[in-house]
Amino acid sequence: MTLAICIGVLVAGGVYLMLQRGMVRIVLGFVLLGHAVNLLLMAAGGTARRDQPLMDLVSPRTAADPLPQAFVLTAIVIAFAITVYMLTLAATGGGDDTEDAS
Amino acid sequence: MVLPLVIAVLAVAASSTPLLDRVLGRAAGWPLAAVFAVLFGVVAAQAPLVLAGGVVEFSRPWMPAIGVGFHLVLDATAWLFCMLVLGVGALVMAYSARYFPSGSRTGFYLLMTAFAAAMLGLVLADDVVLLFVFWELTTICSFYLIGLSGPAAHRPAVRTFLLTALGGLALLTAAVLLMVRTGTSRVSTILTDTTWTTDPVFTSVVALLLVVAVFTKSAQFPFHYWLPDAMAASTPVSAYLHAAAMVKAGIYVLMRFSPAFGSVPVWNAMLIGFGLLTAVIGALFALRRHDLKELLAYSTVSQLGFLVAVIGVGTPAALAAAAVHTLAHALFKAALFMLVGVIDTHNGTRDIRELRGLRGRMPVTAALTVLAAASMAGIPPLLGFVSKESVFAALLDAPGAAWTGVAAAAVAVAAAGLTVAYAVRIVLGAFGGPTGQGPREEPSAAFLSAPALAALGGLGLGLAAPLLSPVVDRVAEDSTHRRVASDLALWHGFTPELLMSALAVSIGAFLAWRGAHVHRLLSRRPLPVAGITVFEALHRGVIASGVRVGAITRTDSPGAHLAVPLVVVGVLAAAVLSSAPVLPPLPSAATRPLDWLLVALTVVSVAGAVTRASRLAALVLVGAAGFTVALWFFFLGAFDVALTQLLVEVLTVVVAVLVLRRLPRRFHPVSRGRKGIAALIALVAGVSAALAAYALTGRRDISTAAQYFLDEAENETGGTNVVNTILVDFRALDTLGELTVLGVAGLVIISVLNSSGLTPGRLPSTVRSFTGTAVHPAGDNSLLVRTVGRLLIPLLVIWSVYLLLRGHNEPGGGFISALVGGSGFALAYLMAPDAARAPVRWPYPLLIAVGILIAVATGFAGYADGSFLRPLHADIWLPGGGFHFTTALVFDVGVYLAVVGVLLTALNRLGTEDDIVPGPQADLLPSAPSQAASETAAPTDPVTGGTR
Repeated sequence: MTLAICIGVLVAGGVYLMLQRGMVRIVLGFVLLGHAVNLLLMAAGGTARRDQPLMDLVSPRTAADPLPQAFVLTAIVIAFAITVYMLTLAATGGGDDTEDAS
Repeated sequence: MVLPLVIAVLAVAASSTPLLDRVLGRAAGWPLAAVFAVLFGVVAAQAPLVLAGGVVEFSRPWMPAIGVGFHLVLDATAWLFCMLVLGVGALVMAYSARYFPSGSRTGFYLLMTAFAAAMLGLVLADDVVLLFVFWELTTICSFYLIGLSGPAAHRPAVRTFLLTALGGLALLTAAVLLMVRTGTSRVSTILTDTTWTTDPVFTSVVALLLVVAVFTKSAQFPFHYWLPDAMAASTPVSAYLHAAAMVKAGIYVLMRFSPAFGSVPVWNAMLIGFGLLTAVIGALFALRRHDLKELLAYSTVSQLGFLVAVIGVGTPAALAAAAVHTLAHALFKAALFMLVGVIDTHNGTRDIRELRGLRGRMPVTAALTVLAAASMAGIPPLLGFVSKESVFAALLDAPGAAWTGVAAAAVAVAAAGLTVAYAVRIVLGAFGGPTGQGPREEPSAAFLSAPALAALGGLGLGLAAPLLSPVVDRVAEDSTHRRVASDLALWHGFTPELLMSALAVSIGAFLAWRGAHVHRLLSRRPLPVAGITVFEALHRGVIASGVRVGAITRTDSPGAHLAVPLVVVGVLAAAVLSSAPVLPPLPSAATRPLDWLLVALTVVSVAGAVTRASRLAALVLVGAAGFTVALWFFFLGAFDVALTQLLVEVLTVVVAVLVLRRLPRRFHPVSRGRKGIAALIALVAGVSAALAAYALTGRRDISTAAQYFLDEAENETGGTNVVNTILVDFRALDTLGELTVLGVAGLVIISVLNSSGLTPGRLPSTVRSFTGTAVHPAGDNSLLVRTVGRLLIPLLVIWSVYLLLRGHNEPGGGFISALVGGSGFALAYLMAPDAARAPVRWPYPLLIAVGILIAVATGFAGYADGSFLRPLHADIWLPGGGFHFTTALVFDVGVYLAVVGVLLTALNRLGTEDDIVPGPQADLLPSAPSQAASETAAPTDPVTGGTR
């Protein structure tokens, strides 16, 4: 429930930013949307079991689902690389982003 | 083994052409001709086996899942075509060594040899998919070979390619239908399938598709125009691809599939009808042309028409006639093309209106041309006479009503008469007329040897025609599955065929005698439309309609593009809601009280991020949302993920600030209406996402896959950190893919910046107003961070290595440790007194490449234990205890290097300050217009401050 609310808020914020003018706001919207998707992946693993999956510390019966964690871990790093790329695009060439509003 | 070996030798020869070309220049044609000749001998040596009805086979699985294999079969039909491809290929290669001006011909020899390999594959393939692949390869080679001739040839190359590729699609469709229907891709099995006798509709559809494919490849009406168009290619290309080999691919496919379709009415009707029509049209066009090469191209169209028509008859005798005429045509047409090339290179023109009386100056060339042209005209004792007689005889047996055979034969006689007329036109046009007083300028023997061999081959085989009977009989048996005893000879007594031949020669002689009248008659009525005009109109139409369709949805606003999928998501959610699904219960422990804190943090940071007008503020608030998400990961027991998120959030802010300082400080204002629409879509999307997450996730126990990883990870990998073992052991291939994406993103950033450069940076006037005060000098102000950093950076680096090593068992691993190390580099960058002295100048693209290479190398090492990326294990004894070593750790090192490489890319390329100049920043200080004007008027003001 709480996780679902957070996902909804992040999606709404991300979508709102992506629909504005200019690359930077699209990038920020993309980042928020990425957070939402990562949380959604975590939600897919369930939120009832929350012990970290370190097998020398916890039992396999209570450990959290490790699969979405592995997905999300790489997704975060890739999203970072894409974010940097989009920021680079925002700062090259001319257009809404590089010209002053006035 | 001999079959793949022949193709492989050609492929090796093709790949060695750059070297040959560097050493020998145009003379690279000689060794290549030798290779072709040796292979010709190798294939010829199979004759005893093949002509006795045996086959040479080769078979390897290629795509076993769908039953497609690398099946090659050499039967008599394939043998005949292999001999043509290799024999004419050897001649053309030898010819090319003298045809071209001295100098490099890399592309030409490479493509010609590659084409020969593809053509051999095409005639040997016993698998429809393989057949299609080789078919397309010949098309591609033809495209490039035509295009080699310079800018004027580019458009013809494209037209030829598009048209033949269209036929390729028809062939692909036929191949798919055949595979689906018969359940196999083996050509030999398909041909004996019972479908061809039980399902006439399906049979007709496949037959039509094959006919369309063949008509495009073998230049039959209405696709005939591409062949003259392709004459933009150099003469050796025309002689090989557009006379002897590639256009025969269509003929080959017709012969290959004749056992299945030879008695299908639509096959007979299409082939005979269009074949004869093409034979007549091609010959008429040939009579109108002045350019010898273009004339020959139309002549090829016409002769291919004969071949198609006679195959359409479908009787064993007809297929035998097609086989012998294919051979005869390859010999005389290749010879004629090469001879026209000789004339062209020695006179600078091949227009018969400009050529006069060459017989005096080039008697040998003239004699050879007469020989080849006579074979084309069907004059005894040449092979062309033998083949044309058998074509006439076969056409008399055309299926259908009794009159069809007579009618077909009559049209063929007319076309043959026209053939005689244009053969005379070639000879008289080039060599007739008053002989000039010029000196003899016969080309060298080396240059003439190839066309001479081809022309004399036509004579020799004509005299020795009975020797060919076993070959064509076996080919006819291959393509009809019925035996035949053809009796190839120059003299059969007084037969109808002899009468027809005599009639054709008489018509031709009459037309040649009245040449001027004929030409006037023909030039008076040009066809209403030219093929090229129609093609170009269609091409333009397709492009224009594409633009029109695209214009419906085209917009320059990213928002409009992004809104579409979002709205669709909303519609989907509504559809799911309206179906009122019944949900399983949510586990009671799913929500914990402290979670609500995170909800509050998320709401506040996101609400702030979307309402701020300042870019920096929005960035910071998005970062706050990111930290909240990291907390979420901690709460959910994902420590590795949380650490990653935390580090990425820090680094994102650092990189984003480097970019933002080059941009205006505030966002552009957006109209109230647009804000409203955006808010509405955002609300719908957000509610949909929340409902979906609530309703569709977390309502089941842990998945069996996840439970497997939890139970078995330690046993299988020796690691206790299950997430890390998934990344580097169980699903290392995924990680390798993601690593590659990461590396590519880094390289793309570099290339984008190399090609367009960063927006020039501007120093905000607020900063400039501090010039001269204690606040301004960056060196002094970064003292604190430098003092701390000097201690912190070594610690960060050591810590990152420690995290890397322990990752398999405790939180850590390649991604996290690289991000920690990267934070160290970011800190080093931030505390440098200026950008020019930012310390880390490592070759970052190299780091990315090395990282990915290490990961891939680890993957290959896995083959030692059976499969790609399988980790190898070893226990190493160290003082103080054993250390469990696994190649998964080496893989993680690759991850580490690639991630660090991308980070350094971002810091070094976006963090540069070489281009930062002080400039006006209107939105910062609402300055008076006069002040702004004075600032822009003095842009050369020396750089007095800034971070330098």
